[in-house]
Amino acid sequence: MLGFIVSRLIQAIVVVFVMSVVVFVGVYAIGNPIDVMIDPGATAEIRENLIRQYGLDQPLWRQYLSFLGNVAEGDLGRSMVYNTSVVGLVFSRLPATLELVLVAVAIATVIGIPAGIYAGYKPDSAGAKAIMALSVLGFSVPTFWIGMLLIMAFAVELGWLPSGGRGEVGTILGIPTSLATANGWSHVILPAINLSLFKMGLLIRLTRAGMVEAMQTDYVKFARAQGLTDRQIVFSHILRNISIPIVTVFGLELGSTLAFAVVTETVFTWPGVGKLIIDSILQLDRPVMVTYLILVVILFVLINFTVDVVYARLDPRVRLGGSR
Amino acid sequence: MLKQVLKTGLAVAALTAAAPAAFSQELVIGLRAGPDSIDPHWSTLGSQAEALRHIYDTLVDVDETLQLKPGLATSWEPIDDTTWEFKLREGVTFHDGSDFTAEDAKASIERIPAVTGPMSMTLYTKYVDSVEIVDDHTIRVKTKGIAPALPNDFTRLFVVPAETGTDVGNEEFNAGEAAIGTGPYRFVSWEPKGDLVLERYEDYWGEQPAWERVVRKEIPDDAARVAALLSGQVDLINYVPATDYLSMQGNPEIETFISDSVYILNIQPSVKDEEPQPITVNGEEVEGNPLQDLRVRKALDLAINRDVLVNVVLEGLGTPANQLMPEGFFGYTDELPQPEYDLEQAKALLEEAGYPDGFEVDFTCTNNRVPGDAVVCEALAQMWSRLGLTVNAQALNGTVFFPAAANEEYTMAMSAWGTLTGEAAYTYGAMVHSKDPEKGFGNFNRTGYSNPEFDEVFVRGTQTLDEEERRGIYEEASRIAMEDRALIPTVILQTVWAADADTLEFTPRIDQETRAYEIAPAEAQ
Repeated sequence: MLGFIVSRLIQAIVVVFVMSVVVFVGVYAIGNPIDVMIDPGATAEIRENLIRQYGLDQPLWRQYLSFLGNVAEGDLGRSMVYNTSVVGLVFSRLPATLELVLVAVAIATVIGIPAGIYAGYKPDSAGAKAIMALSVLGFSVPTFWIGMLLIMAFAVELGWLPSGGRGEVGTILGIPTSLATANGWSHVILPAINLSLFKMGLLIRLTRAGMVEAMQTDYVKFARAQGLTDRQIVFSHILRNISIPIVTVFGLELGSTLAFAVVTETVFTWPGVGKLIIDSILQLDRPVMVTYLILVVILFVLINFTVDVVYARLDPRVRLGGSR
Repeated sequence: MLKQVLKTGLAVAALTAAAPAAFSQELVIGLRAGPDSIDPHWSTLGSQAEALRHIYDTLVDVDETLQLKPGLATSWEPIDDTTWEFKLREGVTFHDGSDFTAEDAKASIERIPAVTGPMSMTLYTKYVDSVEIVDDHTIRVKTKGIAPALPNDFTRLFVVPAETGTDVGNEEFNAGEAAIGTGPYRFVSWEPKGDLVLERYEDYWGEQPAWERVVRKEIPDDAARVAALLSGQVDLINYVPATDYLSMQGNPEIETFISDSVYILNIQPSVKDEEPQPITVNGEEVEGNPLQDLRVRKALDLAINRDVLVNVVLEGLGTPANQLMPEGFFGYTDELPQPEYDLEQAKALLEEAGYPDGFEVDFTCTNNRVPGDAVVCEALAQMWSRLGLTVNAQALNGTVFFPAAANEEYTMAMSAWGTLTGEAAYTYGAMVHSKDPEKGFGNFNRTGYSNPEFDEVFVRGTQTLDEEERRGIYEEASRIAMEDRALIPTVILQTVWAADADTLEFTPRIDQETRAYEIAPAEAQ
């Protein structure tokens, strides 16, 4: 187990390094951030002073080395746009994204997996066909469009829910979150549904496929012959067997949703990290880009790690530590 | 049945939406962009100045057509070639109760170079040599050379208490502890990209604003902003996109407000000896740069049908432009003819210049800086193809466009330019004067245009303190630049605001600022 953790840690560090180099070279190739930000009326003298002040006159390798030096001292830098510490900036927006993603993933799981089980258990029923048709819509219709439809229907026409923004923020266990208030929930529900649709469609199809396959296997036939009820067969035998691919996809999706919820955040003006990162890219705010991407890499590594641990719990044949 | 439910839902929504407006004095505005910081000396960003004006006052203010009016300074005059004297308003208090004096004005001017960021505000203090306090309510500003535009520069000079000092940065301002101004509203809360919440300052020196509380919500997505208005979440939105503007025309519950903006889409033809991207005829690079020929530039201009650009391409949200700034600005001349569309004459000029079969040229624009930049770009390419040219139009994200434009990599480019100060020196000094880093002119002259006659007239303007005389000089500069087609202006963009019908009294501003204290509730009918 320890060896497994260490190898994962090394992996993460290598990825972070490679990624930071890519970002540095990428921003350098696009051009000078000062030219994007500078005021039209600025004189050449002002421009040159700024370039010097932010160290952009240095060769790329030197800029990168001084960045590494600062990171070694625990300083990821300050945003060029907001002039606040980037870590504080990213973490001030992270709770909003986290709560949105958690609600979305919960909705997708609570609805998606039972629906998939049903569709796989009775594949020829009308209900199953309807579920499958809807699941196709779920991951083929673009998110921003569904988002606009939801807003038009529930906010503009019916007026039941707000059209965007994050509601009142309360605290649960000392963490500030809008999930603590009714007003907060009324704000989170539409964007969460919007964000969950793709994942829901995916989970439905994945669960169904597993179900259909498993229903024809020998162990199910034997269980039937043994006189077990359908309920027992589905929940204690089949579900356990088909859960490995579901957990894998679940993990990957959780990560990508956290990192890239930006479309939903934009449509619903949700004050999460997604909007922050898009603005930072448009303004070439390099410190924010680098920090955010480092965070995403760490997040993915953590999620994959958790997924691997869950595998081992689900399937005793899987051993951690490379000796599988 | 469903209809019944829908109706009930609508009625409930109408009730809940109407109730707060009737009982509280809160104005909620949905804006495309907000500030980057609450420190008023951090950035020159337009949306930053717009938001912070509610909290801080400037020495000089501007009215809705960008002409100067008193702010914290009640009057100003040059007392010799390099000294301006500002009389300051008496009886003004900061939000913490302390009095505003000359000390605070001086400290604010001197604070800028120490704390400003990449969008450097030193732009507004570049002429300041030193500040001298005459008495508690008079300052004298010594300038580097003659600086007739100093009062214009001071329209963005926000005043903070002298005690603030230079060690206090964005964190302290954003948290509110340092956010102390003399403006009509006090700071309540803000975070980057989030809502700016403001509360009326009861001891404000000017007219008391109508709203007790103002919430400025940042909603960058156009469709989301419109939805927020339609669902009653906000009372007013800015930058309504053209398509929604059309549908709002047919909606009796929504009222729109339209104004010209300071932004004009200008074509920048490179007139250097060698054009950055080759111009070709039948695949072969032509000798010299065809754009150096005034006849070619005139042909390009004549082939533009500006009425089509305005009425078809921009859905009516524009005005044809015949010079680099809107009418009424300091330096606008009415001696220039209205732009005309004459394809025949354009073709004749092109033939005369030696290109009877046209040529092939690259044309690069921005696609996300102002409404309509990308569509106007495409439309221009088509108009020029009628002239016989092959135009490779490309609309790029500003992040890519501006660094390359700064390197002068484009043969023909188009981007929007706003005469933000309302007077010509700002625009001409940056874009039309020959590039001259030593004098600090021509920093945004990417075309290589250099006309000694223009430079002489322009510089004479910058050395003239008399206002009327200077106005005449800049009008002449406008004429020279346009007759030369140094740049080819196309359309003045217009901006649209929208609110629930008959709820607000609002005069749109040409600088596109949405100032809560200039908005009043509509008179009850």
